[in-house]
Amino acid sequence: MTTKYSKLVDVTRCDGCRACMVMCKNWNDLPVEPEEFKGSYQSHDKCGANTWNVLTFTEHETENGGFEWLFRHSACMHCTDAACVKVCPEDAMHYTEFGTVNTNYDKCVGCGYCVQNCPFGIVQLTTLVDEKGKEYEQAQKCTMCVDRLQEGMKPACVEVCHMDALVYGDKADMVALAEERLAKVKDRYPNANIYNPIGVDGTQTFYLLADKPSVYGLPENPKVPTSATVWKDYAQPLGKAMLGVTTMAVIGGFISNKLFNKQGEEGGNHDE
Amino acid sequence: MSSRQQTVKRFSKWVIIAHWTNALAFFALYITALPLYTDFFSWMYPIFGGPENLRLLHRIFAVIFVLPPLVMLIVDPKSLFHWLKQTLTWRKEDIQFFVKFPKEFFGGHVKDMPKQDFFNAGEKLNSLLTITCAILLIGSGIVMWMPELFPLALIQWAYPLHNIAFGLSVAVVVGHIYLSLGHPGSKASMQGMTKGDVPVKYAKEHHGKWYDELVAKGEIKEEKPVKKGKGA
Repeated sequence: MTTKYSKLVDVTRCDGCRACMVMCKNWNDLPVEPEEFKGSYQSHDKCGANTWNVLTFTEHETENGGFEWLFRHSACMHCTDAACVKVCPEDAMHYTEFGTVNTNYDKCVGCGYCVQNCPFGIVQLTTLVDEKGKEYEQAQKCTMCVDRLQEGMKPACVEVCHMDALVYGDKADMVALAEERLAKVKDRYPNANIYNPIGVDGTQTFYLLADKPSVYGLPENPKVPTSATVWKDYAQPLGKAMLGVTTMAVIGGFISNKLFNKQGEEGGNHDE
Repeated sequence: MSSRQQTVKRFSKWVIIAHWTNALAFFALYITALPLYTDFFSWMYPIFGGPENLRLLHRIFAVIFVLPPLVMLIVDPKSLFHWLKQTLTWRKEDIQFFVKFPKEFFGGHVKDMPKQDFFNAGEKLNSLLTITCAILLIGSGIVMWMPELFPLALIQWAYPLHNIAFGLSVAVVVGHIYLSLGHPGSKASMQGMTKGDVPVKYAKEHHGKWYDELVAKGEIKEEKPVKKGKGA
């Protein structure tokens, strides 16, 4: 993979219209999921199995006591070092040719390891029914509209954004654009920053945020959970090695017994 | 080997049943775990009817794996607690055992092995590791089976722990099986776990302390020294 493609979310341009949410539901044929009114303009708590994209409305008090809305388009971050890909035992979670993260639904068995390890809490399981009427579970999340990307189109949410708060293109170009924009908004938002966390080697959905990540409900230093690293990078390979070491010891013991122990105390070894 | 040997009872019927049920469940779990553990074994999926079926089978065998100690608690607590007590009791002779054992393992003959308990130090270590692995595997397995009941950090750690315990238990089992099947002088121990009795000669050589107790209780006659004739 040479070129990575990214979606830059410039929250300082967002006006909270939610067209991206609607377009996402439309393009991906996702069922409506009504939620109760909880005293906020925000329609859904967070991304879910059938809502891959939620516009968050954060009510924020500024340092001088003023009030402001902080809007954020939230969806799968498409991590470069993705915990879901790391822990998936079926290789259902994988990297696409665009550097994004996708689910292969034919391989997914709904084990939920990705759900438990996603540092952003994005992946969720949905319950589906097969042709025999049997229920089964499957991991669901934003696909960055990979079917559109393959046709040379932009993701649906980017296509519809009328404020250019969502921009899609080469990651290098997007980073340059983010830096250019950051310089422009620094006067208005002194805490502004680019959120492309290094704990997961950067993300393909990355942000120009007007305030600290935690203000937007994003983890300050997201990383692949230590337990997942211990599991996949150490325990599993070491386990395979240990299997080898004991097997070698046993084979060694068997051979040396054959060679040196000619008394044959109890007769054959294998006639048990 | 002479055909008629004096034997002594070693394991009760329930110990034997529990041991083999546990062994069977362990192997069934081991095989159904392989494709989940590494892609190298993905060819096994079709044999078991796909990943979903394999996972279901793994859970069924998990229940069988958990049963033996619980059943033992009801039907034969005496043997269960005797085993646990012995496993947790470590004396000087047990440590000395491991100094001499490598020679025995690689085919030498150790004559001055300190007298061992009903369970010798090797068996004690095997039991200890088996119990530790079982606790880790069952504990983490329950968390993985019912994640909705546990906090996220615990769920995330259950996977590496399950993995580590799996690797360790397989290593232990490989050694255990080799010593019972592959190593010379193992037939007697195998007889103990199949028929329940072992030759007195074997008891004397491998479990000296236990042998002395049996003699003291008058349950067996003392074995004559083997030096006189060859065909013991």
